Amino acid sequence: MIKKVISFLCDISPFLAVIILWRLQLHFWNPGGILAIIPIFFYSFVRPVPWFTPFAILFCFLIDYNFDTKLFWTTMYFIAYAINGFQYFIDLQRADKNAIVPFMIFLGFSLFILMIFNLSWTVLFRCIWMFVWVSGLYIPITIFMKKVHADD
Amino acid sequence: MNQRTLSSRVTKLVKSAAAAAAVPLIFIYVLVSKPDFYLINGLGHIVLPAAHFVGNVVTWPIRATGEAISNIYNLSTLQAENKRLQQELDAALANKNACDIAVAENRRLSNELDIVHATPQSVIMADVVHDTVALHHSNFLINKGVFDGIKKGMVVTSVDGFMAGMVIDVGGEFSRVRALNDADSSIAVRIAGDEVYGFLTGDGSANPEIGLFSRPEFKAEHGMTVITSNISGVLPNGIMVGTMINGRDVKILQIDSISRVKVLEFNTNNEYK
Repeated sequence: MIKKVISFLCDISPFLAVIILWRLQLHFWNPGGILAIIPIFFYSFVRPVPWFTPFAILFCFLIDYNFDTKLFWTTMYFIAYAINGFQYFIDLQRADKNAIVPFMIFLGFSLFILMIFNLSWTVLFRCIWMFVWVSGLYIPITIFMKKVHADD
Repeated sequence: MNQRTLSSRVTKLVKSAAAAAAVPLIFIYVLVSKPDFYLINGLGHIVLPAAHFVGNVVTWPIRATGEAISNIYNLSTLQAENKRLQQELDAALANKNACDIAVAENRRLSNELDIVHATPQSVIMADVVHDTVALHHSNFLINKGVFDGIKKGMVVTSVDGFMAGMVIDVGGEFSRVRALNDADSSIAVRIAGDEVYGFLTGDGSANPEIGLFSRPEFKAEHGMTVITSNISGVLPNGIMVGTMINGRDVKILQIDSISRVKVLEFNTNNEYK
């Protein structure tokens, strides 16, 4: 019985991680619930989970709603999904350090686009902070996720 | 085995093609549905409350712990705050008589000058349930929506009458309010006690700025009071907005400091002279 409960919790952990990180938004530490983009990226491209893609799209939409960016993160997710599916040069599932470099490119490019359309010192500093903070948390969070699934 | 690999590759390609095809469709939608975005806002009205409900259930232990820590901290500072509030109350009471006289005088002058001030037709009290400050945007959600009579464009103020923002999206039981420091916010204002007008424009920073004044030689000074103006016909006249910090920046109400607001509906038709 306990094993079944643990197995169930492991199965739903990708979805829980996204919900928790999206809901626990804080002005400085998690603006707009942006940290949810870490499990969204990880479980979509690095360690794909069945039925996660529609859920990821839904939460990209919800991050957009928080950011008041009309379908921006959703579009970036679609672009990343298409690029990842069409290419065979980089296998994100076997990339080093849980594919942090592709994640940083994805995040950096997205934040750069948001920044150039609303350029000001405040937005620049917030973008830099968000990039450093979210990228910095990517490794610990993904290591934790791997431990949950006993991948390591 | 090979067939399986081939079919999984084909499936992956089809999914990727679908994702790629969605991108231009989104671009077209965003271009076409500007500025109302009925579809995504409508979707948000359904998805957001559901996601909040699930999120609240799942994160309840974490938030309860956070609130307990916050309450312990608040309790520890309660005595000092009580003392400070007592002093502020004494000072406010000392000014009350002078204010009452000034209000009566102002009313008499308004009557003599035939100035008609708009009064709100309805006031709806609401709680701030959620606030979001992300990059250049600053919004918050209140727990009253279309079922409570809230409409897009209504003015939201703090309980003590400082303008907090405007309703930009209304769901069944919630509304989204755009704060004054949001990059998309631009409201007509004037300097209280002077006929100098301008537009207060948000840029995502804590203090929005007034770029240009109607009188170019006018120099704003620290501490000047900024109130709303009806020159653009959108806002009613005379709602407190904030105080000037320097020649451009205005100190406004910060959304993380408000928990309860008033939503006001004004009739701006023929109410102003």
